[in-house]
Parts: sequence; C-alpha cells; structure tokens
Amino acid sequence: MFNVLVIIPAYNEEECIISTIKKLEEDIDSFDYKDKIHFDYVVINDCSKDSTKSVLKDNKANFISLPLNLGIGGAVSCGYKYALKNNYDVAIQLDGDGQHDSAYLLDLTLPIYENAADIVIGSRFINKEGFQSSSARRMGIGILNFWIWFCSGQKVSDCTSGYRAVNKEYIKLYSSDYPIDYPEPEAIVRAKLNRARIKEIPVIMKERVSGKSSIRPIHSMYYMLKVSISIMICRLANKKLKQKKR
Amino acid sequence: MSTTLQLFMICAEVLYFVLIFTFLKKKTLSLKYTFLWLFAGIVMLIFTIFPMLFVNLIKLCGVTSIMNGLFALCIFFIIIILMSLTSIVSKQTDRIRTLTQENAILEKRLRELEEKDK
Repeated sequence: MFNVLVIIPAYNEEECIISTIKKLEEDIDSFDYKDKIHFDYVVINDCSKDSTKSVLKDNKANFISLPLNLGIGGAVSCGYKYALKNNYDVAIQLDGDGQHDSAYLLDLTLPIYENAADIVIGSRFINKEGFQSSSARRMGIGILNFWIWFCSGQKVSDCTSGYRAVNKEYIKLYSSDYPIDYPEPEAIVRAKLNRARIKEIPVIMKERVSGKSSIRPIHSMYYMLKVSISIMICRLANKKLKQKKR
Repeated sequence: MSTTLQLFMICAEVLYFVLIFTFLKKKTLSLKYTFLWLFAGIVMLIFTIFPMLFVNLIKLCGVTSIMNGLFALCIFFIIIILMSLTSIVSKQTDRIRTLTQENAILEKRLRELEEKDK
C-alpha cells in the first residue's frame, strides 16, 4: 500500500475548514487506485485565535494543534514531521482556506507513485484557468520564478503555489529543514539543490473563501525582498556544502 | 589621557566586572554568553592602564582623535555583542519551534490513546 498524507495547515479557518475536509473525503472516495494508494489527512491548527480547534474537535477531525503560533512554515514542517514519524510515502500540502481543490490530489500523487518525480507542484499558470490573482502579483511571481531558475536551474511557472506533493526522501529533508516565513519558493530551491526531480502539473485554483493570504499587499515589497535574499543565501550555503564534501 | 580620567575609567571598569560577576553568581547570566562581555571589559581595562598602547594602535588605523577611536572601539564591541545576541535569539526560536511541533504531535498521540481507552 502506498500511503499519502494530506497536510492541511489552518489558521483562523473556522468557517471553511470542515467543508474543506468533507470535500476532501468525498474526493478521496471517488479516486481510482483505491486498492493501491491510500489517502489520510491531518489538519495542523496553527494556534488559531478563533474556534478552529473546537470545530475540529467537535467534528472528530484528525488534527494536530500547535500550542504556539509558528506561522505557515512551522505548521507545514510540523506536518512533514508527522508524516515522517508515521512513515508516509507522500505528503501533500493543501491549504485549508478552500483555494486548493482536493480533486487534484491523485494527479499530484501519480507522478511520484510512478517514480517519475520527487516533488510535484500544482500550478495555476500552465493552463491559465481559474483564479489567476492580480497582475501585480503575477509579475512578482514571474520575477521569483526567474530568480529561482537563476539560482537553482529549476524552471517553475508557479513558485508560490503551496499545493505540492513530496516523496519520502524530501519529507525527510523538509521535516528537519523547512524555510520559516514565506516558505514556498525557497522550498523549491532547497529541494532542487538536493537534486530533486520537480514536476509541475496544471491545476485550477479558486479564490479563497475566507481567511487572509499570508501575503498582504503592504508586505509584498518585504515579501519579494525577503524571498529573493533567502533564495540567494540558500544557494550560497549550498555551494559551501558541496566544497566541503570534496 | 589625564590621570583623573584614567582613575575614573578604572573605577567604572571595576564596577562593570563586579556587576557581571554578581549576575554570574546569581546565575541570571550564563557564562557561555558572558565571555564576549568579559573580553570587551578586559580589552578596555588594558587600554586604560596602558593608554599609549591604545593611542599607537589608533594611529596605526589612521584615526587622529583619541576620543573618536575610543568611541569606535565601544561601538565595535556593542555591535559584536548585538550580533551574538541576534544569533542566540535565532537559535532559540529554532529550538522553540521544534519543541512546539514535537509537543503538538505528542499531544495528538495522547488524545488518540485516551480516546481508545474510553
């Protein structure tokens, strides 16, 4: 049996976390390959200020509740730790705010199941369907895509997409060493520099139902700067590592 | 450097060391993080006792005014100490994060076991 863990980070998502889980369970039921691939999910409640925790408890959801707010990076890497401890073959990150459609879970898993990739990213810009976000944001993502290619040689079309599947080897990498603040772009670089085979598949994303993006407009400049620098540092640190190995 | 200034400086530095050692004795400071403070204090003490050493060093660096050299040295030490503090904070943030995660995973396990018992 090939076990897949869906990691759902949630911060103040009391309104839509249950509907996300229900949709997820329905989608999992509808997948083929049922005898070969088994899906579980775990919600990581990042110390929400609203009633997310009690909602999860009342609905008997499978969840981990962090006693301190660690931010998206800390929550997701907690999910990877959990996946590593429970020996999952694949971990998929799925945002709790309804942006990611759980119907694509199987599509994200299959390339790893067939050993065609180590990491599979769901990109909304391949077929350019569904929610495409503002043009300013797209430009920012374009710049980061270029910067990632420049620093690691990896071509991606949607580097900020959190919707991604990771195999066992990289679960291990991410559980011990996952970027903290704005983790998605940097995580790609880290994996690539560790020789990951990264594949992108087209997905359709929805506009978030509730909750706020972790990237607010005022912070976008800071976001770009911080992510670009951290990618560069990631690259420089890796160079040193390689020299040591020699 | 005048003798008055020299005496004043020595008094101030003695007070500085007394403070550090009091904190160390009370264990409100751990020695590991105090080495930089002690080192800075010792350098300052050496320069107060042998001012010519300091003056010559400053001339070597191309600083003409002694007071400016003194300030530069102080600021240098403060920056180094601040950097070491930032590095300590970063390390601790990292540790707290790991602890929080492990704790949350354990809490989940506990919850599951308790439910099984019921």
